[in-house]
Amino acid sequence: MATVKGCNIPDDLYYNVENNVWARREADGTVTIGMTAYAAALAGQIVSCTPKKVGRSVEQNKSAATVESGKWVGPVKAPVSGEVIAINEALSASPGIINSDPYGSGWMVKMKPANWDADAAALVTGGAVAAAFEAKMNAEGFAGCA
Amino acid sequence: MKSWRVLDTGLRPPAQNIALNRALLEARQAEEVPSTLRFLRFTPSALLGYHQSAEQELNLDYCKANHIAVQRRITGGGAIYFDETQIGWELYLHKRDVGTTDMQAISKRICHAAATAISALGVDARFRPRNDIEVDGRKISGTGGAFDGDALLFQGTLLVDFDIEKMLRVLRIPAEKLSDKAIASARERVASLKELLGCQPDVVQIRSNIIEAFESEFGVEFHEDELTLSEHARYQVALREIDTPDWIDLVSRPADGMPVLEAVQKFAGGLLRASVAFDTLTQTLRQVWFTGDFFVSPRRTIADLEAALRDTPLDKLESRIRAFFSGRQVDMLSLAPADFVTVVRLALKQPLTDSVIQ
Repeated sequence: MATVKGCNIPDDLYYNVENNVWARREADGTVTIGMTAYAAALAGQIVSCTPKKVGRSVEQNKSAATVESGKWVGPVKAPVSGEVIAINEALSASPGIINSDPYGSGWMVKMKPANWDADAAALVTGGAVAAAFEAKMNAEGFAGCA
Repeated sequence: MKSWRVLDTGLRPPAQNIALNRALLEARQAEEVPSTLRFLRFTPSALLGYHQSAEQELNLDYCKANHIAVQRRITGGGAIYFDETQIGWELYLHKRDVGTTDMQAISKRICHAAATAISALGVDARFRPRNDIEVDGRKISGTGGAFDGDALLFQGTLLVDFDIEKMLRVLRIPAEKLSDKAIASARERVASLKELLGCQPDVVQIRSNIIEAFESEFGVEFHEDELTLSEHARYQVALREIDTPDWIDLVSRPADGMPVLEAVQKFAGGLLRASVAFDTLTQTLRQVWFTGDFFVSPRRTIADLEAALRDTPLDKLESRIRAFFSGRQVDMLSLAPADFVTVVRLALKQPLTDSVIQ
């Protein structure tokens, strides 16, 4: 568990720091992805989320879902390439859980990764996570998660 | 001084305009082009926000019968009617141009500059949270944004001349909407430059004011330019995705998932009617209209309150209304802020106070 400027950034997950997204390798080899607490704080109250449809292939760093807050729309980019095998249906009725529980019930998409080992090599995990996010937050002038 | 680009892509159908949004945002993200101000115009169009459903937002039979093209934007916000009488303006920026990751601060900064440009025509235009520009409480420009990585697109409309009755027919808003009274009440909420100035505004002047205001805001100079070859290529790819029913139906929800609910109640301070477009899936008040027979000063209070209540989760209704009235001086005789809560809750058939729930 890491906390960076008040934002919870669990160090057991894999991150694309630039895109502000996380990935978790599940026991069955699938990968769950979502937005970080930092990304959710930047967005503010999320009012809509539309994930890509089940069965669609998504390349690494391409949009796996789209979120809206304060009339701004932006992509949530897949940390790994693969096929969308499940989407979090609860988000259409309660997109706010992305803000309140970004690593738990606010997950967005489950993917069957095309090549986890190769894609994960580009992601940050473990002890390097806190420093990487702290550098990003400093560069972006972020005051901290409320 | 940095040089940014101005494009004018002229009058186009909405699929082309939205495909250009995608293409220009991608090209900016890829650093193939400088930051850009684009002017655009639309043939008659009903434009959905990215996450909206056509069935819930639009009167599709009317659109079809009147050759009004339905299209989905890549930006957020609500559905609008857009035709030749309006001008669109858009900024494509890099995050370093704005120096903050606070998206609401970016909206505010751009809207302030746009309001300065509109005010220079001789009206008192101001930014109104969350994303409108208004003149004396009446909306004259609506805005929305999209981002991809470090690139931002922020776009706005400007009502130069405007057919309010057509807007009411295109958008799926209250049932009583086509009465003379409803049209008059819509006129209190929306304004065009022509109406405010009493004459047809000079579009060349509007353009040059907007250019000047953004030059001053960002400390840059604009130069006229054209689309690049890479933007043309990206545009062709985007158009193949966007000019399709699949794109328009990307979000599709039944119309009965967003009923327009109404209630009328007599209070000591007068008769108050609330019409509420209520999203049953997310339990959110998408839009609220207040009409009736009551005194309020300043008159713009009602339009401001309606703007403040856009996209309000049901459980925040009371706190938002209370916060709205606590922040301003309003004379309503004996009408009370709580009366607005009451009439909305009646429309939704919700308990009138939280304490009623045992």
